[in-house]
Amino acid sequence: MHVLQLLTSAQGIWIWIGALLTLFIFSFLFGDNPLYKFAEHLYVGLSVGYMIAIYYWNFFKPDLIDPLFGQGRIILIIPALLGICYFAVFIQKLAWTVRIPMGFVLGWGSGVAVPAILQANIIKQIQGSLITTQMLARWDTLVWNLIILVGVITTVVYFFFSREQKGAFKTISNIGIVYIMIGFGASFGYTVMARVSLLLGRLQFLLGDWLGLIR
Amino acid sequence: MRLGEALAKIDRRVVFAFLAVVVIVPFFVPLKILGSVSPPARQLFQAVEEVEPESRPLLLSVDFDPQSMPELYPMLTAILRHAFARNVRVMVMGLWVTGVGLGEQALNEIAPEYGKEYGADYVFLGWKPGFAAVVLGMGKSIPETYPTDHYGTPLESLPMMKGIRNFNQVPFAISLSAGDPGALTLWIPYVQSRFGQKLGTGMTAVSAADAYPYLQSGQLTGLLGGMKGAAEYEFLIAEKGYTEALTPAIQAMDSQSMAHLAIILLIVLGNVGFLLTRKRRK
Repeated sequence: MHVLQLLTSAQGIWIWIGALLTLFIFSFLFGDNPLYKFAEHLYVGLSVGYMIAIYYWNFFKPDLIDPLFGQGRIILIIPALLGICYFAVFIQKLAWTVRIPMGFVLGWGSGVAVPAILQANIIKQIQGSLITTQMLARWDTLVWNLIILVGVITTVVYFFFSREQKGAFKTISNIGIVYIMIGFGASFGYTVMARVSLLLGRLQFLLGDWLGLIR
Repeated sequence: MRLGEALAKIDRRVVFAFLAVVVIVPFFVPLKILGSVSPPARQLFQAVEEVEPESRPLLLSVDFDPQSMPELYPMLTAILRHAFARNVRVMVMGLWVTGVGLGEQALNEIAPEYGKEYGADYVFLGWKPGFAAVVLGMGKSIPETYPTDHYGTPLESLPMMKGIRNFNQVPFAISLSAGDPGALTLWIPYVQSRFGQKLGTGMTAVSAADAYPYLQSGQLTGLLGGMKGAAEYEFLIAEKGYTEALTPAIQAMDSQSMAHLAIILLIVLGNVGFLLTRKRRK
C-alpha cells in the first residue's frame, strides 16, 4: 500500500511528516488544541531558522565577510557599523544610535519611492484612462475605455469630501459607489478562489503524494 | 426551529464537511470544466513565445513562499516548461527569502526533463535583501548586484551570462508574486516604469484584481490570476505540445469550480435565512 511504502524511503518519511503536520493544522477547525499549537510553533521556528541561514549564506558572507576580510575592502565597515546600530535598541544607553541607519533607510527609501510611485501609479494610470485616437479604431475598445473613464471620474468624485454630496454631485458619487462595489465584489470573488486554492493544494498533497489515491 | 433560524444557524462544522465533500469528489470524478483561456493569460503566453531561443534570457522572479505554492508554483513550472521547450534561456531570482527553495526545486525538477544544463541554459541568482535596491541595482548592472549566483559561482564564469549587463539584455521579465515585494509594489514602479522593462506577472488570486488597471494601461504584458491563471497556462503549453507532464492546476479546477458553486449556495441560503428571520422579528 502506497502510504505504508512511503515509510521505507527517506523522501517518504518527509511526506509522512508533512501530511501529519497538515492534519495537525487542520485540527484547528474543531478548536484550538496542542497538536495545532505544536505545528504552528514548529512552522514559526523553522521559518526563522531558515531565514537566518539564507541571510548568512546569500548576503552576509558574500557581500560583507568575504569582501571585508578576504579582499580587504575596508569601506564596508561603514554599512556594517550602520547595521550593528539596529541591535543597539537592546542597550538602553545606545538605543538612540538606531536612528542613524533608520534615517538613511527612510531618506533613501522616500527619495527612490516617491518619483517611482508617482510615475507608475498616477501618471501612467491617468494616461491609461485617457481616450486616444487609437481607441476610436474599434468600437468595443472605445466602449470599454469609456466605461473605465466614467469609473475613474465618478470614483474620484466619491472620494471628494470638501463639498457636501447632494444634487448632481451626489448622483455622480452614487455611480462611483457602484464601481467601488463591483471592485469589492471582484476582489472578494478572487479571494474566495485564493483560499479554496490553498485547501486544494493541501488536498492534492494528502490525496496524491501521501495516500496515493490520485495522480 | 423554523426554516429561517435553521438556515441562519448552520453549524460551521457542517459547512466544513459540505465543502470537504464538494472539493474532494471532483478529484475522483473529473468534470473537465476549465472554461476558456482569458486574454491576459494568452498575452503572457505570447510574450514568452516571442522571446528568442538561445539568446537573451527570460527573467523569472520567484516572489512567493510556500503558503502561496498551490497557486503560483504551477505557474512557475508551466512557464519553465514553456521556456525550456523552446530553448529559451532562463534567469531565475527571488525577492522572498522563503521562496528561494521553491525556485531551486522547480529548476531541479523541470530542467532535467528538457536536458538543460546549468550555466548554459539557466541560472539561479537566488535571493538578496533590499528589494528596491536589488532591482534598481540590476537596472544598472546585474553582475554588480549579483557578483555570484546562488551557489557562489561568479556570474561572469557562466556561459549564458556573457554580455548580460542589465535589463537592456532582458527581453521579458515575469514576477510570480504573492504580495509585497512583488509585481505591484516593486517590479512595476521600479523596473517597468523606470527602465521600460517589458513585464508580465502571475499573482495570487487575492491580489489579481488589483493588477488589472496595470494591464489596461499597458504597464503589464500578460497576467495569470491565481489557480485559474495557472490552469490556463498549463492548458496553453499542453495545447502547443510543449509538455505531457501532469497539470496540477487543471486537475484542481473542477474542485475549484464546485467549491465556488457551494459558496454561492451558502451565501444565498445565509441571506434567505437572514431575510426570513428579519421578517419574523418585524
